[in-house]
Amino acid sequence: MNSEIPTRQSSFLLFIRKHNYLLLVLPALLLYTVFIIYPFLNSIRYSFFEWSGVGPMTYIGLGNYHTIFFGALQEFFVRALKHNLFAFVINFSLQTIFGLGLALALYAVTKGSNLYKTIFFLPNTLSTVIVGFLWNLLLNPQWGMVNRFFEMVGLDFLSRPWLGDPKLALPTILAVSAWRGLGFPILVYLAALLAIPEEYVEAAKIDGAKGFQIIRHIYIPLILPTTFTLMTLSFIWTFNMFDLIFALQGASAGPNYATDVLGTLFYRITFGGMGSSATGMGLGAAIAVVIFSVLFPVSYLLNRISKKFEL
Amino acid sequence: MELPRWRPGKLTQIILHFILLAYSIIVLYPIGIMLLSSVKGTREIFTNPYGWPASLRLDNYSKAWKLANFSVYFQNSAFVSVMTILVLLFVSSMAAYVLARFEFRGNRALYMLFISGLMLPVRLAVVPLFTMIRDINLLDTRTALLMVYVASGIPFSIFLLVNFFKSIPKEIEEAAIIDGCGLFSIYYRIMLPLIGPALATVGIYNFIGTWNDFFFPLIFLRTKSKYTIPLGVMQFFGEFTNQWDMLFSSLTIAIVPVIIIFMVASKQFIRGMTAGAVKG
Repeated sequence: MNSEIPTRQSSFLLFIRKHNYLLLVLPALLLYTVFIIYPFLNSIRYSFFEWSGVGPMTYIGLGNYHTIFFGALQEFFVRALKHNLFAFVINFSLQTIFGLGLALALYAVTKGSNLYKTIFFLPNTLSTVIVGFLWNLLLNPQWGMVNRFFEMVGLDFLSRPWLGDPKLALPTILAVSAWRGLGFPILVYLAALLAIPEEYVEAAKIDGAKGFQIIRHIYIPLILPTTFTLMTLSFIWTFNMFDLIFALQGASAGPNYATDVLGTLFYRITFGGMGSSATGMGLGAAIAVVIFSVLFPVSYLLNRISKKFEL
Repeated sequence: MELPRWRPGKLTQIILHFILLAYSIIVLYPIGIMLLSSVKGTREIFTNPYGWPASLRLDNYSKAWKLANFSVYFQNSAFVSVMTILVLLFVSSMAAYVLARFEFRGNRALYMLFISGLMLPVRLAVVPLFTMIRDINLLDTRTALLMVYVASGIPFSIFLLVNFFKSIPKEIEEAAIIDGCGLFSIYYRIMLPLIGPALATVGIYNFIGTWNDFFFPLIFLRTKSKYTIPLGVMQFFGEFTNQWDMLFSSLTIAIVPVIIIFMVASKQFIRGMTAGAVKG
């Protein structure tokens, strides 16, 4: 404790001397505030201005939001949003069906699970963009190994422009993203399965339950919290998608915006410009705020729901 | 720790292995093709995509390495990733230590402030980040990347480390104080070693994220000599679009080191990268 002798030190310094441990928090707090909090708040502020990034900023109130929801950008915004939602549904379905399925298989086999785990998780360690470039080559309509394989085994009709066909492009990209990302839900589900107490399974067996029944009545309900966590993560991930699409289709998210998502739209508006009035940093900031306004409540909600399912 | 659990019979086991094997092939197939193609000539890749190369063109790698300027890219990636986790672990463990072990007004609020960052996808703040970095003349620097990566890694790191710190018994600290250790000493010599596993988890999680990141180098970097590996590969793909032997070789160079490190330390990798989603 400080002595009670009055000194000429300011009360601020006294405070620091008494609570000197707070200094340890300062570096993290500074970095975090300057590079995360402050830009984040500024994003909201910028969204109310029209600004090309240099020069004067013009205050336009909700003008950017009007452009997004009702104006020149509406068509793009709605389409991108639809693609994000589609991506989420597909991504979550794939990860639940195949993620859980493969996890159950891993759980049930008597040996080899470690090797499988390593193999399955391998693509997760690779850079998304590099994965994109690799598959770009593999899916090349003329020379790509995928189509050549189909031709070699006589399934010529499957040899298509997977990335060039507006109807196939987005599902193809989602398949690639599943190839890369499935390892994560598999391992998370596996850990959840391994955490289920033995007594439950034993009790079920004593009651005469067979394999599939055990799955349905014991395992699946008990991993519901995990499913919600993975759902939240899937939602966040699909709404942030950018790298893979950029690598496979470029910033314009072709063909003909068939793979455009909020992330690529955001990038184009902010850094690529689109010509005419729909361009600039203010507009980009507004899109970012919109994306965040969707992300935050939904992930918060999903989080709350998942807590309800925990035992 | 193998507890008795549901173990289906032999026939089911064979079917399960079949399924697992099939998926393994799906996973390994692109990587295998990549390796196979990287030692072929371009024409051979086109005419004989699945066959064994006529001759193993190992010089593809040295050519791609030089053409793509990979030594620079590897250096940049290594610098940014290593520095990021060093700085991140340092600042966040200090902060986490204080948040976990000291009671003061505002502790909870400060903690919540940090944790809220988990919900803020940092990419969405990229517009002001970009202009701010530009205005303080740090555009096109690796330092800018460093700052952003450390800042965005702080929420998760503090979240994980505070939990770890809280589980350390108070007696250890009290004994150290009795022995006359100062604040920083306690932090550095006693607390840090005790949370080694947590530090490794945070370290791996952030290292891989930083090493693989493409978005921020894309936004911030302009000079090719500062590019990290993902950006460098993009550059290479743009320049050598039709030379598939070079393209596959460059991908191999970019990916294989990561794969090797992963195979060696797969357990830690997996633990690090699934942290937060896996309970316990």
